[in-house]
This record gives sequence, C-alpha cells and structure tokens, in this order.
Amino acid sequence: MRPIFSKWRNLVPLLLAAALAGCVAQPGKPAQPAAGGGKGTDFSEWPCLSYTLACGRTPNRKPVKQALAGPLGGDPARGKVFANERSKGNCVACHLIQGAEQPGSKGPDLSAYGTWDRSDAETYALVYDMRWRNPDTVMPTFGVNQILNDQELRDVVAFLQSSK
Amino acid sequence: MAGNHSFSLHALALISLFVMAAPGPAAGAGAVYREAYPRAAIDPSRGIGGAGDADFGATLQYWQDEKSLEQHKQWIGDPEHEWKLNWKFLDFDRTDDMHPGYLALEAGEKLFKLWAKREPAFRTCLGEGKTDLKGLAATYPKYDPKLKRIMTVEGRVEHCAQTALWETFKQGSPANNQISLYFKSLSAREPIRVDTGSAEIMQSYRRGEKLFHAKVGQFNFSCASCHTSSGLLGQRFRGQVPTTPFGDAAHFPTYRLALGDIESLQQRFMRCNLQARTKALPPGDPAYTDLEVFYTVLSNDYPVSVPSAR
Repeated sequence: MRPIFSKWRNLVPLLLAAALAGCVAQPGKPAQPAAGGGKGTDFSEWPCLSYTLACGRTPNRKPVKQALAGPLGGDPARGKVFANERSKGNCVACHLIQGAEQPGSKGPDLSAYGTWDRSDAETYALVYDMRWRNPDTVMPTFGVNQILNDQELRDVVAFLQSSK
Repeated sequence: MAGNHSFSLHALALISLFVMAAPGPAAGAGAVYREAYPRAAIDPSRGIGGAGDADFGATLQYWQDEKSLEQHKQWIGDPEHEWKLNWKFLDFDRTDDMHPGYLALEAGEKLFKLWAKREPAFRTCLGEGKTDLKGLAATYPKYDPKLKRIMTVEGRVEHCAQTALWETFKQGSPANNQISLYFKSLSAREPIRVDTGSAEIMQSYRRGEKLFHAKVGQFNFSCASCHTSSGLLGQRFRGQVPTTPFGDAAHFPTYRLALGDIESLQQRFMRCNLQARTKALPPGDPAYTDLEVFYTVLSNDYPVSVPSAR
C-alpha cells in the first residue's frame, strides 16, 4: 500500500465529525444563537462595527447604578441555574461559583460570596451594570442591556448571597 | 372656541419644534456616546513582534518559529499551557495526522485550474498582470490604485471572477473560500508583508485598530475585551482560553472542524460578533476589511500558514 494511504486513513474520523458538524452549522451562515438573544434577533438594536448601518451609530447605554426596588425576593435555586447556563447569566464563564463545571479564571471566586457581607442592593447594582464601579470591566452589562430581566437578576443575587 | 383651538395648535407646533431641537442622545455624529476598551500600545512596524509584550500575553517566544514550537510541543493538550502556542501547531502537517485543510486545498486548486483553463484572464487578473501567483498573497491586504480600494485576497478573487469570468464568487461563498485558500497556499511559508509604508493601508489600519477597541453588542464587548491581557487573554473562559491577536491572520482561510467547512478571516469575525451578541456584517464589508488590515499587519513577518485546520 502506498504510504499516502496510511496518512489519509487518519482523516476518516475527522471527516465523519466534520460531516456531522456540517449538519447543524451551515457554512458561511453562522447559526443564530436563539437562546437568550431575544426572538430571532440579529442584534441590530445594539451598537455594531458597521460604517453604514444604523447600529454603527447606536450609542452604548451609559453606566447605571440601579437601585433595588423593594425586598429582593429572589430564588437562589433558579439563580444557580441562570448563573451556570450559557444562554443566561453564564457567570461561570469567568467566575468560580457553586455548581461550576469548567469555571473561568478572570473574575473573582464567588463560591463563598454569601460570607462577604455585601448588601442585596449593592450586589444587585453590580450585576446590573459593573461599569459604575469599574468602567473598564469585561463583565457584560446584564441589567442595563437586558441580558437578564429584573426577576432573573434577583434570583442570581439570591444565589450569590446563599453561597456560603 | 375656534380661537382657542387654533391657539392650542400653534402651541403644539411650537412644542414639537422645541422637542425636535432638543439634543437627543444621537444628536450630531460627534455627540453619540460610544465606549472603547482601553488601548494597549501597538507599533505596527513591529509585525508579530508585539506578541512579545505583556499587554498581549507575551507568548511570541513559544510560537514564533519552528524551533520554538518544537521546544514547547509538550504543551500540546496541556490545559494550563496550550494557549501559549497560539494554536500554531495546527498549521500545515506539523502533527502526524493529515487534516481536512488539505482536502479544501485540493478542491480549491481544482476549481482554480478549471476556471483559469477556460479563461486565462482569471489567472492574470489574480496575478495583477503576471501569470505566476507565487508569493503574491503574502502582500495582502493591499491598496489597489486602479480600483482605488483596499483589496483582500477574497476581495480580489470576487473581483476577478466578476471581471474575467462573469461569475459571482461572493466573498464567503464556498467557491471564493476554496480559490482564496489555494491562492494563499501559493505563498505558503512566505513571510506576510502588508505594506505599512502605504498611506491608504495605514489609514485602514487605524480605523481597524479603533474597531478592535469599540465596545459593541448586547454584552458591550470589544475584540480587545477578549484579546488583550487586561481582558480575557490567557484566562480560562469557560472551556477555552482566548489567545493573542498577533499572527492570527496567517492561517486563514482555514478548515474549521466545528463548521465542517472552510472559514475566511471575515467569517470568523462574523462568528465572533454573533457570539458576543453583536450584529454580524457581510464578508467584504468595509469595516471588516479595516479589521482584516489591522489583524494582518499584526501578522507581518509570520509565514502564510495555509493549509491549516482549527
């Protein structure tokens, strides 16, 4: 057998994987991430890099220190799910949190946040928009850009406060 | 009554005039509130040299040439260190396994030769008058003084298909990606040489640098948020570790296992934008072209590394 065959033989599993991957992702047309992104949105309501489209001139939303209205009323169990879910909070991408699989390393370890003695109001305001404390943060603008809604934010705060 | 009515109409008209004149958030181009990620200093004349700086992970020493890659190959598969190799071990046939990048290359060569045989002007258009295409792609993106615009490899293939073949090989289409990949492979191992002495290229580079730092999308992320050391570069980001932007343009178009197809650099920008919940632009968009110029200047002096697979 010619040596070339022994090299190309290794391709078979790769090609199988590629063919399978090809079924879900259409080349040239990246799949729209539906979950968490709203109803089939193409995200054109947010600022973009274009020189010609309207989103190229859409302003960023300014930093907001959002006040927490009323008692927290969050569900820590639901918050734990949101914090670990990619399409929701995805806190785990950057933070070590309780229940984390493959936690990230950029943000502080939050697995004992409940012992830090931070108020619900401060925690809520920081998850809502970290920029009022640190304008150069890489933390997404969860509240101000409606990545999480008010109840989801409260649930995440409740989860953090229950992390002891 | 009639008098009152007309008075209130006047008042309404006056009020609406006032409201229109009041400065809204988007009043005037200069007044739009746009955020940018803090800039790390980049000297475009240094090419990949900037990858040695701490602001960009200081990984140059591990992947800059064959010797460095060979010395650190024990990091392949090591979750702690692998990111420092900038995935450069996946170019050509450095590992024992052949990868589908070679199949994509074969397809591109077949398609190019078919069209160049039917219509020799296709070859000379790609060669800017010459028939030998060797080494040419390493000088892209470049300013074309006749067309008065910046041309990427994919843009040139699209243009030549249109003018020489009357075919539409749109940027991002399979035909364009395959021929672009073949065209780039004819410069394989040639150092990338984007002309930083060109005023038009440098204007485009500066626009691209600005886009690299612009915070966009629902997450309010910039490219720099993930690809500088003050951001996520070198940090575990769920299952991945974001790498340096230096040297990154060298291996495109690349075969992408996750997609089961070839992907151009600008299609990668599309996926980056969508992953950060930002409106994706079509391949060939002027903003993406500026970003490609910026990225390719950051790959200057690194060899064209096609075919590759990621």
